[in-house]
Amino acid sequence: MKSLIIGLGNPILGDDGVGWRVAEAVRGLQPSLEVECLSLGGLSLMERLVGYDRAIIVDAMHTGHGRTGTVTTFPLSELPDRSAGHTTAVHDVSLPTALSLGRQMGAQLPEEITIVGIEAERVYDFSEELSTAVQEAIPVAVTAVLQEIEKWIHGLDR
Amino acid sequence: MTRITIDPITRLEGHGKIEIFLDEAGDVANTYFQIPELRGFERFCVGRPVEEMPLLTNRICGVCPEAHHMAAAKAADAVYGVEPPSAAKKLRELLYMGFYFTDHTTHFYALGGPDFVMGPDAPVAERNILGVIHKVGLEIGGKVIQARKYGHTIVEMLGGRKVHPCTSIPGGVTKGLTEAERVEIEQMGRWGIAFAQFSLQLFSDIVLGNPVYLDLILGDIYTHRTHYIGLVDAQNRVNFYDGRVSVVDPDGKRLGKYGPDEYNDWIAERVEPWTYLKFPYLKKVGWKGFTDGKESGIYMATPLSRLNAADGMATPLAQEQYQKFYETLGGKPVHQRLATHWARLIELLYAAERLVELATDEEITSPHIHTVPTKTPTEGVGIVEAPRGTLTHHYWTDERGILTKVNLIVGTTNNYAPISMSIKKAAQSLIHKDTEVNEGLLNMVEMAFRAYDPCFGCATHSLPGQMPLEVAIRDAAGEPVRVLRQHC
Repeated sequence: MKSLIIGLGNPILGDDGVGWRVAEAVRGLQPSLEVECLSLGGLSLMERLVGYDRAIIVDAMHTGHGRTGTVTTFPLSELPDRSAGHTTAVHDVSLPTALSLGRQMGAQLPEEITIVGIEAERVYDFSEELSTAVQEAIPVAVTAVLQEIEKWIHGLDR
Repeated sequence: MTRITIDPITRLEGHGKIEIFLDEAGDVANTYFQIPELRGFERFCVGRPVEEMPLLTNRICGVCPEAHHMAAAKAADAVYGVEPPSAAKKLRELLYMGFYFTDHTTHFYALGGPDFVMGPDAPVAERNILGVIHKVGLEIGGKVIQARKYGHTIVEMLGGRKVHPCTSIPGGVTKGLTEAERVEIEQMGRWGIAFAQFSLQLFSDIVLGNPVYLDLILGDIYTHRTHYIGLVDAQNRVNFYDGRVSVVDPDGKRLGKYGPDEYNDWIAERVEPWTYLKFPYLKKVGWKGFTDGKESGIYMATPLSRLNAADGMATPLAQEQYQKFYETLGGKPVHQRLATHWARLIELLYAAERLVELATDEEITSPHIHTVPTKTPTEGVGIVEAPRGTLTHHYWTDERGILTKVNLIVGTTNNYAPISMSIKKAAQSLIHKDTEVNEGLLNMVEMAFRAYDPCFGCATHSLPGQMPLEVAIRDAAGEPVRVLRQHC
């Protein structure tokens, strides 16, 4: 089984950079894992997932509700596909739409994609700093990623 | 009508917003288009070495990092007063053509195209790339994926990595091209020419062959007579990477051309109380409000603008299409905004032809790809055409090359005033007292801005993903009548 851990986000956009920090920490603890830091969405992100059996995506979440720094783990299928119609996606298609497209084209894409989301606070200000609560959430998110990997290794159901 | 001032502070919720205000009679009185702005970029840059800018600015947004990389590299060249060797400029341009090829393909098939292929009032769940493939055929999806792959491969080959290139530095580039890579790019370029021709044929069959769509394109709803700008070469032909910015008036008369260091003589920015973003306009013509015509300094910078501001295309097949474009649409300039989708495909063909031209240029594998800067750095401006408009980077540094000030005018910002006008006109044309405001109708309002291919740098990658958009209609008392808000 080929697995990929992706830290997603913009490293110079405040809390949006947390995905990268978590991914780098995971890489430090488990050097044998394939870990990437990316600033991509939609089609480009789907293209990076081609050839893998499973993936974990770590990203800042900005839902506007929930305490800053809260770490949530859930399957991609639970993320609402808000741009199924492109009314709302001004410049790309959503990841679920992109994955459907890739699969229709016969690409081998992960059956299992897990999201580890960290509720963010500041994602509209250029900065390399994280909010304190988001910074403190890094070890929690790292643990969440490692637990997912444990489940893969032991073949446990969610 | 009750006057409602919208305080932008309350609107920074992370989504773009179109607000449509109705008058007492139930007709559209006014519309506002607001987008959140990322803050503090200049503050973030000041104090850093200017040579970091090609890497930093390509993180501004996830949509056109390559364009920022190029504009930043050119501005950094200017700061150091250094001229890259000819081969380095060609390598940068080659990378840039690979990027354009991907970007224009994506817009047509995933974003702009579905309105036409599926129809403006098709159910929202079908009005996307999956719907297009379902209708036109599965093999088309494979071609789109292939086109994107080739574009990414070229960017990676020359830029050192996918999407966020890192090889342009003041004075040139850090990575040359091997003969084997050159051959590969040439082959991809030749495939690209055929793909672009296929795409133009598809547009011709589906859109131009349908009288309803042709009427929609040529009709008044999506038409504005504004000024146009775009980068041109010495023969006044469209160029994405280098040249001077041509400015034409609504009659097509060229008002002049400006080089990067003259942009301040031509472009000024208007501040409005209801939005953080500024509205650039032509300084020499002046700001006359949100109105079109020769007396208004509002200009547009898009694929359509580039064609209007130039005398032609620099490659033969694209030039043929250029002529067909103006013959079909009734002469030059073309003011119908929906024609931008066609103009974009002509540019796609140009990008593919230019890929082959550059890949077969005998200088392209030259090892002379960098000039070492020797002058004391001061100040410089770099301009390229981003897919969605003229992109200007202006940097000031101290004598060590440390940034003291930064100013950027990004592609979509150029078009903020015309986008706002287009939304208002579409809303006023489509929404009346007894109109049932359904999704199809609101989509037709959105089509007014989608033609511009707007890129909001604010589309961060935070989940749940792309920047959401809300359309709200308010009555004369300011009360919401209908809100379409799928993404929040």
